Amino acid sequence: MDTSRRNFFKGIAVGAAATAVAPSHAATERPTGDSRQRWGMVIDLRRCIGCQACTVACGTENRTPLGSYRTVVSQYELSEGGRPRRAVLPRLCNHCEDPPCIPVCPVDATFQRADGIVLVDNTRCVGCGYCVQACPYDARFINAETGTADKCTFCAHRVDAGLLPACVETCVGGARVFGDLNDPKTAVSQLIAEHRVSRLNEQAGTEPQVRYIGLDGRLQSKVEGVPAPLRASLEEVMS
Amino acid sequence: MNPEVLQLTGFSQQPAWLPWAVQYFFIIGLSVGAFLITLPAYVLRWSPDQRAARAALLVALTTGLAAPVALLADLHQPDRFWHFYAFGQAGSWMAWGSFFLPAYVGLLTLYGWLALRPELAQRARDPGPVGRVAGLLAGSGVELPRARRSVGWVTAVAAALVALYTGAEVAVVAARPLWHSALLPVVYLTTGIAGGAGLALLFVGRFETPRRTLFRWLWAALALTGLTVLAWMLGVSGSGTAHALLRLATEYRPVSFGLWLLFGLLLPLVLAWFHRAPIAAGLLAISGAWMWRWEIFMAGQGIPKNDVGFYGVHLSLGPEGLLGIVGTLGLWVLIALALTALLRPTANVQG
Repeated sequence: MDTSRRNFFKGIAVGAAATAVAPSHAATERPTGDSRQRWGMVIDLRRCIGCQACTVACGTENRTPLGSYRTVVSQYELSEGGRPRRAVLPRLCNHCEDPPCIPVCPVDATFQRADGIVLVDNTRCVGCGYCVQACPYDARFINAETGTADKCTFCAHRVDAGLLPACVETCVGGARVFGDLNDPKTAVSQLIAEHRVSRLNEQAGTEPQVRYIGLDGRLQSKVEGVPAPLRASLEEVMS
Repeated sequence: MNPEVLQLTGFSQQPAWLPWAVQYFFIIGLSVGAFLITLPAYVLRWSPDQRAARAALLVALTTGLAAPVALLADLHQPDRFWHFYAFGQAGSWMAWGSFFLPAYVGLLTLYGWLALRPELAQRARDPGPVGRVAGLLAGSGVELPRARRSVGWVTAVAAALVALYTGAEVAVVAARPLWHSALLPVVYLTTGIAGGAGLALLFVGRFETPRRTLFRWLWAALALTGLTVLAWMLGVSGSGTAHALLRLATEYRPVSFGLWLLFGLLLPLVLAWFHRAPIAAGLLAISGAWMWRWEIFMAGQGIPKNDVGFYGVHLSLGPEGLLGIVGTLGLWVLIALALTALLRPTANVQG
């Protein structure tokens, strides 16, 4: 074998090894975020039409398995004095200031970035489901394809690139507003300053960072009411 | 139910803890419970009833050896189990459990070996492969009561830690009011003792003395279970969790809860009190221990944390459902057959 051919094969071997190692190395490197920022979301329910475009955009952006959702829009009919009205409630991970999903994780796979975003390192997660149980918002699930915990990331990959989360980008009525809560000039900060906002399940004491404008008190904690006649995951419907 | 709120679209959440988890908590509960029954005769020297202790030890060993398999199977990434040791987090009860469980199973095996090696030595006299294996395991076959007692004490500490972590890791979950009760670990322990005593009744043969001993353990454990559940419902461990348990019993799962109450608690309690029908009492106590865990784990995950109604409990037929349950049972039967084959028949054991 001449020298050039040997070098060629050596190059292929080194390249293949680098390709094999690089992604796994990159995958275990945790994004830290910028501690000067604190990302949060305000959902103006007066603007939400319950179209589920956010649900679809999230699924498309993050390739969640069929029947699993990182965000959904629950819809209700609320009656007052015999007069019914429709109410919507977009739900997602609240990226709590004090997230109960983190201390229960036995392998330190779920963590909070300096900018408040709560993420799952799915190269480390063992899929024990403990964080799914600990989340007071039912915002986590076990991804059937990866066998690891899954949840809304505020589209951290997009945010780090200077983009908005997919659900915010796609919201038809502009109901979802995302931004830096530490900056008083951002739209989220101004909405919080100008409106009476409420948070879900506040008694859990987790300091959720998703706020709502126009939230009916009956939907703020565990909702008590008449369940939908058909409630099945899409996976069940399709099968 | 508030008729002024009508859910139009809802999304059900699939349980993250599968029936494998029920199997694990059931089997390890039986093991710890049965181990405790061995202590008066083998460690504390309070009781001369070696037969009851031996039967309970067989239960503790066979279930203890089968339990880790069910736990591993409940991980959705079982091949990453080593992450527990590489990246363990001190704030998680589950992380602590990954150390307590192997310590308990290892110590229990050593304790069992110390207790059973004279029997193994006798079995080694038999010709054939079983005798040879028994001979290899028996070593010198000399009884070492002091070593057995010492190891028994350390195993008791490990068993207490396993009982503590299995209860606490569920009870700390504030997001599920049904689980968030300080009494939950107590009921896990008492139902584990009842199930362990129930299974030991099946191992003990037709001897009256050990049956009486095991009946006493059984009714005491079941009576404690009933009193603890009653205290739970009366709000001793908090009104939120009491409300959740009452709702489970009356609204979400009245039939299953009623079946547990009748056949898993009251009937075996009466049978044990009157020393009647040991096989039936034992089987009912075992099923009671399982049913309680099924209701708490699977039905508990069926209660939405935020939304309306009840997701329900679905048992699939595959490895994540019925096949997993049957498989765990099969593994236990295999271990029980292997262990009992190496020992003398129950009838030949000294009382």
